Amino acid sequence: MSSSENKEADGSSAEESGQFRNRGFKILGLSKQDLIRIFFGGNASVAIVVLVLICVFLAREAFMFFPDHHHDLKAYRQSGQEYVDFASDEIKAHTNLYSSLNIAYFAEVNRTAKTEDTILRAYRALMANLENVTAKTWGRFERDLDRLEDVEDDLSDAKEDLEELDPEAEDFAAKQQELNQEIESLSSEQSQLTTRVEELREKLKKEVDLVIDSEEVWNMGVGAEEPPAESKAKLREAVLLSASPEIDDEPEYITGLKAVSKEKKAKAAEELSDFKDTVKAMQASIRPLKSFQSELRSIASKNKSEIVSFSTAAGRKEAWEKGAQNAATEEERQRMAAEAEKVVIKEPDYAALNQPFYESLGKHAELIAPIEVEMAQLYAQIPSKKEVQTKSAKENLDRAAVFYERFENTVSKNREEIKEWRHDKPITVPESVTAFLFGRNWISNSSWHDFYGILPIFTGSFLISIIALTVAVPFAVSAAIYVNQLAPHREQNFIKPAIEFIEAIPSVVLGFFGILVFGETLRAVSQVEWLQWVPGFPMAERLTILNAGLLLAFMAIPTIFTLTEDALNNVPQAFTENSLAMGASKLQTVFRVVVPTAVSGVLAAILLGFGRIIGETMVVLLVAGNKIKIPDFTEGLGVIAQPAHTMTGIIAQELGEVDQGSLHWRALFMVGMVLFCISLLVNFAAQKVLKKLSKI
Amino acid sequence: MHDQVTDDPLLKTENPFAKKATAVGRRDKVVSIVLRAGTYFILLCAAYIFIDIISKGAPTVFQSSPPFINTDFFTESPQTLMTWETEDGEYFKMDFSDYSQWRRDNPDRPIVEEHSHAYSGGGIFGPLVGTALLTLICIVVALFVGLTTSIYLNEYSSKGRFMDGVRLAIMNLAGVPSIVFGLFGLMFFCLFVPVFTETPLERSFFVIPLGGGNHLSFEGWGTCMMAGGFTLAVMVLPVIIAACEESLKAIPMGFREASLALGATKWQSISKSVLPYAFPGMLTASVLGITRVAGETAPIMFTAALAHKDKLPWQDVNSLGGFFSQSVQAMPYHIYTVAARIPQSEYTKPMQYGSVFVFMVLVMSLAALSVFLRIHYRKRVKW
Repeated sequence: MSSSENKEADGSSAEESGQFRNRGFKILGLSKQDLIRIFFGGNASVAIVVLVLICVFLAREAFMFFPDHHHDLKAYRQSGQEYVDFASDEIKAHTNLYSSLNIAYFAEVNRTAKTEDTILRAYRALMANLENVTAKTWGRFERDLDRLEDVEDDLSDAKEDLEELDPEAEDFAAKQQELNQEIESLSSEQSQLTTRVEELREKLKKEVDLVIDSEEVWNMGVGAEEPPAESKAKLREAVLLSASPEIDDEPEYITGLKAVSKEKKAKAAEELSDFKDTVKAMQASIRPLKSFQSELRSIASKNKSEIVSFSTAAGRKEAWEKGAQNAATEEERQRMAAEAEKVVIKEPDYAALNQPFYESLGKHAELIAPIEVEMAQLYAQIPSKKEVQTKSAKENLDRAAVFYERFENTVSKNREEIKEWRHDKPITVPESVTAFLFGRNWISNSSWHDFYGILPIFTGSFLISIIALTVAVPFAVSAAIYVNQLAPHREQNFIKPAIEFIEAIPSVVLGFFGILVFGETLRAVSQVEWLQWVPGFPMAERLTILNAGLLLAFMAIPTIFTLTEDALNNVPQAFTENSLAMGASKLQTVFRVVVPTAVSGVLAAILLGFGRIIGETMVVLLVAGNKIKIPDFTEGLGVIAQPAHTMTGIIAQELGEVDQGSLHWRALFMVGMVLFCISLLVNFAAQKVLKKLSKI
Repeated sequence: MHDQVTDDPLLKTENPFAKKATAVGRRDKVVSIVLRAGTYFILLCAAYIFIDIISKGAPTVFQSSPPFINTDFFTESPQTLMTWETEDGEYFKMDFSDYSQWRRDNPDRPIVEEHSHAYSGGGIFGPLVGTALLTLICIVVALFVGLTTSIYLNEYSSKGRFMDGVRLAIMNLAGVPSIVFGLFGLMFFCLFVPVFTETPLERSFFVIPLGGGNHLSFEGWGTCMMAGGFTLAVMVLPVIIAACEESLKAIPMGFREASLALGATKWQSISKSVLPYAFPGMLTASVLGITRVAGETAPIMFTAALAHKDKLPWQDVNSLGGFFSQSVQAMPYHIYTVAARIPQSEYTKPMQYGSVFVFMVLVMSLAALSVFLRIHYRKRVKW
């Protein structure tokens, strides 16, 4: 529009008008320079746009989770599943208690035959490994042996035939020749087979030797305690004996050990018979409740399917009707119309569905009261911690105490809640939100009811991050202090790029390393005798919270290191010089002047490191063990030896397999939203810390 | 004799100005040794990881006869590995395609024991190509947006709310977990972005008819390398912006001022006397970006990557659009698959370690390149 008036503008006009105004063509009143500026500005705002889009798209899916979840919870209540789960909770609490006592009992009994069991375990491990290694050779050996037997049989048959051949028969010569040929070919095969069998026998022997001599197998079976050298030699003999192809029976040494172990255990069991009876009585006491619960469970399941079928009925009918409209043939159309007709939209009579539960109220109370009394009696009878000797038994008695308390609590809490329970009590909005934020179960694809509670995966993520931070911070900060303050220039130039280099290791490579190498190493380390004071050692699993935590610590070190180093770098030189001039030593200067001045930067570095750790996906997906359960805190710090699942890991693992728009899909987006919020919070906190604490 | 032992300080063996061994000095020494040990422990751990992977991966990648490199490993795509044994005791180990050929050639040799090991045979050509394509798309997009953003931030912007907003957004973007970018990419690029199509999908958010049977349908690109590349680009944006900005900041103000004083317009001075000198820095930025992006798995898990694909991207494609809208295999996802999603056996090990070795060497050499470039240009360029 305004471009024409400026078209003729050139160098001469500026001098004439004496004005320094922009010339050149204009669009919408904007000159070329303005347009370029707007173009750059527009691209700069991409960052803002993307951030907003992330918020919008995550939030859209995530917040649609709550209505769906609300609906789902309503079905859970209306079908009576919630009611049945009261009893299920009691049973679960009881099972926990019972099984920890059971473990304690067996730990005590097995203690007496510890030496024998260790050797037997090693024997079994060795044999299993032996089977693996020799399977191929063994198979071939047996096949060849069978074949050899057949050939030998055939050979002797042929020889017999040759002898019995009637010399007077007319075809004697031909037959004799035929048989001779057969014998010849058979004997050549026989000799071939014999040599092969011998070869294979040699090979087997070598393989057996290989297995017996490899340290790994010994460690695997024997565990923390090494058996005496004498029994080790005997064990070796036994393994050799059972590995030899001709002998099928178990070696005497092993049979003997088994007998001794059995005898010792029987004796111990007799001494501990009171304990045993108590545990058995406990197991028996819960049975009536169990059968009661399983009866109700099937009713609730039926109710649930009825309710679900009602909630989807309208959609199904619509789909059939739509299909009928678009049907290609008349026949098809009629079939679909008939199907649509068949779908009945009728709201179930919830009161009638839940009638059996209301009726069972009295029975539940009747059942649980004697169980409670009996359990109290039985629990009083179990031996105290002083009476047991093994570490495992002591730990499990401790756990049993916790579980007993939990059982009591569950029962008394349920007693009140069951009275209050109504199938038609509305579910409030806060209730459905807390069911997500504080839900203790994340169960998907279950035949009973899907729970989406973030607590198990959140605890997993959090525990792993805490371990990673406690390990990473000392190393990263001390490395930063060393490099920035103490190291000579040459060393600085080597260490800094090297640590930056570590940051570039792809996380999937670290995860791979964790799953194939580090997990095994860590487990082997955890078996070492003098490290037994570490909580959770010895570890039974390869993929644990500790494993993931240590690898993530390694990942976070470069981040924390770089940021801490920057912060230390920003401390004015004058501070250091003044301190040194006052006669402080180098280290006094570092720890009393430089680090306190930079503390805000260090804290921010730690926070950002935390952000990086909690958002890391591949390492935890590969290494954390992926068990969706709140880690068992009754083991104290030993919790680090358990597997766990994480928020990032669960998205990566499950999102690929769920239907778009389903409740599960939305739950995963909700988890993503939580992660997003955490990352924003961490960033925000880091900035606040930098501003607030900055002393310079 | 007596005279010789004087108090002459020059004759004393001890230096009077030497530091005295005090308790503070000793403590200093111990603490600094501890700090130093901590530092080197980190490097030792890194070295352990490298050595372990290199020592176990090298046998797959290299061979003892010319050409010394296992070319099959680099030119074939992942396949199923078959192992079997014939009745006469001969033992075979072949990729699936060779196996079928062998079966055709020897129809009457009975097989006694046969095992298949998924993803353990063949090579890593497919994943390598996929990763290269994803990285290429990503870096083109990210460099374009990142460079323009950094030019705006560094050359045009004045302090203000918009600027603060942009800086805050970039900083927060840098902290968002990669899996969240994956979710975003899935929702936005795979399921929302508008496309021109004749037959809009039912799940499309909304459809704008354009006449002539064409529609602008907001249905997304689907799972494809475009979606993956863009997702990665969004993720790596903060890194690229920071690196580009650093390179622009390093150019002295005098260059711009001199250019402007000579009468050049703003854009002329930027394009003629700033950008050419910032080029090395941008190169470093893009290498850094590639390093970051090539190793990422989580963002491409749902947006682009496939565990198995028979064809290479350029086979069976008739248009450019078709080329970019197919999913690809990618190295990190391939490693995830062979590490965690297939049953482990001794036959899977060569493929596992071989892939990890190649991938790590690739990424680490890029990282080394970016570190080298930075140090090199910082040293060389002195204004």
